[in-house]
Amino acid sequence: MTEAVTAGAEQVAPADIDSLAAILRRATKERKVVQVVGGGTRQGYGAPSPPDLVLSMSGLTGIEEWDPDDLTVTVRSGTPVAELEETLATRSQTAVMPEIPGASTVGGVVAAGVSSLRRGRLLGTRERILEVTLVTGDGRIVRAGGRVVKNVSGFDLPRLAVGAFGSLGVIVGICLKLWSTPQASATVTVDDLAFADRVVRPLAVLEHDGVKRVFLWGTEEEVDATSSRLDGHVVAGLDWPPDPTGSFRWSLRVPPALTREAIARVPAEWSYLAIHRVGEIRASSPAIDGAESLRSWAEERGGALVVVDAPSGGLSGLDPWGSPPPGLDLQRRLIAQFDPGRVINPGRLPGGI
Amino acid sequence: MSLIGELRARLGEDRVLDEAVELYLYSKDASLTRGQPTCVVFPGTTEEVADVVRLAEAHHVPIVPRGAGTGLTAGATPIQGGIVLSTTSMNQIEIDPENRTAWVGAGVINLDLTRAAEPYGLHFAPDPSSQSACTIGGNVANNSGGAHCLAEGATTSHVLGLEVVLAGGAVLVLGGSAPDMPGLDLKGLIVGSEGTLGVVTRALVRLLPIEADVRTLLLDFTNLSGATKTVSDVIASGLVPAALEIMDQNMMTAVETWLHCGLPTESAAGLLAEVVGTAEAVEAEAAIIDRIGRENGACQVQIARDQDHRDLLWKGRKSAFGAVAQVSPDYYLHDTVVPRSKLVETMEEVQAIADRHGLAVYNVLHAGDGNLHPLMAFDSSEPGMVEKVLRAGEEMVAACMRRGGALSGEHGIGVEKREMMRTGFSEIDLDAQARLKEVFDPEGIFNPAKVLPEGSRCFDFGGVRRQIPHGAWV
Repeated sequence: MTEAVTAGAEQVAPADIDSLAAILRRATKERKVVQVVGGGTRQGYGAPSPPDLVLSMSGLTGIEEWDPDDLTVTVRSGTPVAELEETLATRSQTAVMPEIPGASTVGGVVAAGVSSLRRGRLLGTRERILEVTLVTGDGRIVRAGGRVVKNVSGFDLPRLAVGAFGSLGVIVGICLKLWSTPQASATVTVDDLAFADRVVRPLAVLEHDGVKRVFLWGTEEEVDATSSRLDGHVVAGLDWPPDPTGSFRWSLRVPPALTREAIARVPAEWSYLAIHRVGEIRASSPAIDGAESLRSWAEERGGALVVVDAPSGGLSGLDPWGSPPPGLDLQRRLIAQFDPGRVINPGRLPGGI
Repeated sequence: MSLIGELRARLGEDRVLDEAVELYLYSKDASLTRGQPTCVVFPGTTEEVADVVRLAEAHHVPIVPRGAGTGLTAGATPIQGGIVLSTTSMNQIEIDPENRTAWVGAGVINLDLTRAAEPYGLHFAPDPSSQSACTIGGNVANNSGGAHCLAEGATTSHVLGLEVVLAGGAVLVLGGSAPDMPGLDLKGLIVGSEGTLGVVTRALVRLLPIEADVRTLLLDFTNLSGATKTVSDVIASGLVPAALEIMDQNMMTAVETWLHCGLPTESAAGLLAEVVGTAEAVEAEAAIIDRIGRENGACQVQIARDQDHRDLLWKGRKSAFGAVAQVSPDYYLHDTVVPRSKLVETMEEVQAIADRHGLAVYNVLHAGDGNLHPLMAFDSSEPGMVEKVLRAGEEMVAACMRRGGALSGEHGIGVEKREMMRTGFSEIDLDAQARLKEVFDPEGIFNPAKVLPEGSRCFDFGGVRRQIPHGAWV
């Protein structure tokens, strides 16, 4: 899908923020549609307008500031997640980014609002962002938040930028709250989650096409004691399953207590990875069949079925996001203050924004 | 009809106050700044709030939402007059134990929520020291923290949805218990906005299971740096305890004189640490903290014997501000954050500033978060004293900002730190914030003259704002 829409568009990869601002200013003036690309792994969301300009973030990479004592890290947004996590691991820390990131960049994960499989215990990306620097459509460089773990000074623009797909501006800098990695961890495959439910706050409880796994971390004493109580097959370390792959990729979101019912409703030919206690189910399918009824079921219960990726023209009228969210007009007016020409990733957001 | 007449017709006689003595009671919060409300209203439903908003707009008067009035930055002070909207009548709690969530009225008291959740084995994690008085609406407005937000995050991480009355009296329900609802996270933007974007009437909050076991330790040190070094080393060891709180000798003495909690008043600093989890986890983690503390010169490590002892230690910590009120007619405190690695040097400078002004300073710190609360005790009847205290406070904030800190960790900006926002943000940054405000509140009626400094909106002056009197919100 990505390749199809970017064909023929001009490619740019600015090496600094000022050049990026100049590019956006010009795009706004000339009404050119800009597609922002980090690692290119999450370009399937929404119904984007075909771009005139593909803006690669590959020139804006690297860790800007990291003092392990502060449990914060500030990076340029084009930094690959794998590279960041590898560096942080040298001091037993993690930014709690997706576990199998592929080519994903930190900026891409933030812009798409994607979270780690550990979110049930360590919270999602929205809870972990502390500061953001954006370049607005008209070329203003706006910073909000701060490089400390706790901050109430002004409106929470960093949080708003998570999942905004660049509509408030192209994210160039991000400060994230880190977490210390404890000494021990284990993955326990279990037959039945009933007992696992009694484990108070595991790192994650995942179900991957029927395979149920409980992920634990902590001191050795804690991990040993909990894994022996779980009555399953124990392996040391965290053995994360990959996201399901297929022609169509989906994100099913339901209230946490409905996770099991949601799994039961996923069509038999689909593949899924469910995060229990969170209500997020990542799924893939060979075809679109079954999506519409699954979406109605989820929406009636306060959830959503979102298209993560689909073959070009494959949605046959199905809206990529589903029913429009409340406050759409407010969202439009907010975005207009940051991207007045609506040139950055137009069409990516719900309601065709 | 007059504004007050219309409000009475809508809400009922007894839910609109305008007697001089009543207005005086609602003219300030727990800060030093006083305003003058036109009236105080107590709506009981979201529809009533929407009508109050519509009447305020029709009469061009501000609305200042107010919870319990425990705020310390004048966020609930009606500095430009107008309607003080008390949320205290909106106090319903509906718990959904299956999803571990609750819909809570803005006027519900923080501790009442946790008590209501207890029978389900759940609790609400944000626990400001004022939790027995402060409301959920106030917590949402200020994105409040508390001692236990080190591991669990502040209020924003526990708010899944909001019901909010916006300009024009429009009611929106944002978010929900399902994760990542599509579109911009408007709910997250409203949390921490200090009542300047609209009036929050209900919040959908996340509840956490009560942990199987808990261990509370009190370590005492002959110097403050031993305590802060312990905090850093504990975190470097891979532990993220539920709480890591430091009190200095002045503060421990004040608390001990009042409450007799068994604090080590002969020591320079006390570190209150708490770990939660399974029995095995708390035992192992408590042992690690004990060892690291001793390596950094802890002369004594107490472990709470039972729940009563634990409650007593926490009472000592959470009564810190009250304890200073016992020894001094007035106190004033700041709430700032520095990167944790800068904590020791910042504390030294805070002490030096207090010494230079001849002021007594008492310290409590959410040390794990790098969050300082230097508290100055004084007598406001002494001429020039208030000015001196305010000046010292500003210097302390500046000392934190120079070290890459933040203006506020959990108390908010309000009126108090409004002008200081310029030290942390550029004109363009503030202009972007002002644009957000303008989108939500084009008439400028929601808690005006708070958070953003005057004149933040520096570009593209729109036509509509020229109708607003000078100083209302620009």
